[in-house]
Amino acid sequence: MHASIGARQLEPVGWIFAALNLIFLVSAMGLGIFLVVESVPILRLEGVDFWLGDDWWVGESFGALPMICGSLMVTGLATLLVLPVALSGALFTSEYLSPPFRRRVKGIMELLAGVPGIIYGLLGVSFLTVGVKDALNLLDGNTLFTAGLLLAIMILPMILTLSEDALHSVSSEFREAAESLGLTKLQTALRVVLPQSVPGIVGAVLLGIGRAMGETIAVMLVVGSLDRVPGFNLFASGQTIPSKLGREAAEALGSGLHWNALMALGFTLFLVVAILTFSGHLFIKRNSQ
Amino acid sequence: MRGSVRGWVGLVLFLAVSFPFAVAADTGPRIQIVGSTTVLPVVSRSAQKFMESSSSRILVNAGGSGVGIHSVAGGRADIGMASRGISPDENKRFEKSYLIVHSVGLDAVACVVSSEIFQAGVRRLTARQIAGIYLGEIRNWKEVGGPNRKIVVVDKERHRGTRHVFMQYIFGNASQRTPGTLLVTGSNNEEQAKIAQSDSAIGMLSFNWMNDDVKAVSILDQGKEILPTWEAVRQGSYPIVRKLNFITAGQPKGEIKAFIDFVKGPEGQKIVAESGYIPIGNPKSKRLN
Repeated sequence: MHASIGARQLEPVGWIFAALNLIFLVSAMGLGIFLVVESVPILRLEGVDFWLGDDWWVGESFGALPMICGSLMVTGLATLLVLPVALSGALFTSEYLSPPFRRRVKGIMELLAGVPGIIYGLLGVSFLTVGVKDALNLLDGNTLFTAGLLLAIMILPMILTLSEDALHSVSSEFREAAESLGLTKLQTALRVVLPQSVPGIVGAVLLGIGRAMGETIAVMLVVGSLDRVPGFNLFASGQTIPSKLGREAAEALGSGLHWNALMALGFTLFLVVAILTFSGHLFIKRNSQ
Repeated sequence: MRGSVRGWVGLVLFLAVSFPFAVAADTGPRIQIVGSTTVLPVVSRSAQKFMESSSSRILVNAGGSGVGIHSVAGGRADIGMASRGISPDENKRFEKSYLIVHSVGLDAVACVVSSEIFQAGVRRLTARQIAGIYLGEIRNWKEVGGPNRKIVVVDKERHRGTRHVFMQYIFGNASQRTPGTLLVTGSNNEEQAKIAQSDSAIGMLSFNWMNDDVKAVSILDQGKEILPTWEAVRQGSYPIVRKLNFITAGQPKGEIKAFIDFVKGPEGQKIVAESGYIPIGNPKSKRLN
């Protein structure tokens, strides 16, 4: 305390900032503590079986494996689908588009990034499920694949625009130096600009994954909501952690173990996102050395 | 093309119910009503009518019968809507809340199939066949006289009133497990839309939710075919009938009582009939049948 803040004379405004920062810290920690405390009864009862059990039937057993698998598969698929599109789009927007065009594209992307999940969900349930069913000749279109595809569409604008920011913020001196050495525009973009902006891009992708992991309503409407471990079959219906919470939270509110189990699901999601973010930062650190 | 028309229908239906439906006047006491999407049409229309001559402000939210009962017991709503009775388990859990049931109408639940299946010749099913389908023993429509196509088994969330009544008739157990299920849906809208989008689905819906894409099949009981018609319900021969209920914690008082009396009264019962259900309780309303 003394060494970090006291050493530099903090002005009054600085204290206000510090206090506001404290609000953020307290709410983040409060959330974590709340989730842990609310999860304790079910974790004490089920132990590790909460995460390893594949049967969720209120009043008998609570196994979260179907939801965990579903969340990971859906988010993984969305990330795989979105990465090539977002990266090439960001590179093209940043390195090839003229400034006025770039501004317009950015404007549209930022607008799209703010569209709420329910809109995507409604479009998904109305068109995407039917489209996926017909295109792939499936028994039904409410599948993990549909959810992943919808999430990819949802997080694309956000990842694209944030990655583009990272690419664009690379100093133009590098581009000029590269071009004066005789590199083509593509070589400059791929070999000079891209490596420098990796931390920013990783951050963008992590934010996108975070949104995809936590998306409730859009996924709930197209995923099929079936609590079953999907194996490796993407074209079957499944359940994700947020969609499970969305389906059952209202019913479970204030009703003991069921509520605790849902909170433990929330805690699990919290952990997964934390681990992802942490490993993302580790990756950035290792890369910048 | 057909699919996209259905898509739009689904979209509109979802919009209609996904968002909390609120009717509001400026002043007066506030009555919070939550629960069954089956009872919802009656209540929202009644609320509008009731508020024409009252200063109360009535807020109506969907969520399902289980949510309605839990919300009233937890003090989060004044009136719970339920398309089923209170289960023994709920009665035990909420003993202290003195839940009271007020019946306001009568409804029937049909076993429904996609129109393509209906047209292909599946017009009647026995309880045993339906049970087989939901247990996953019968997987193809040809086993029950339909086309050679796999069955998309649509179930509802476990706490939903429609599911309780349906499963009670089919299995004699309101919370029967159904390993054959492919999709789990929530509101009547959602289930109707998903069955309509599919061309080989089976599900359960209140009589009111039938349309060109979602057809009810007859129930074969000991060789006798019972048509899914209101006529059969009135004669008492149709087996899957349930009461539409209001749930309160303790005896209702003041404006809450006034509203319940309004729905039970002639004007309310007229709305019940207009909403497509059978009025009950009030001898004067018999002629509306």
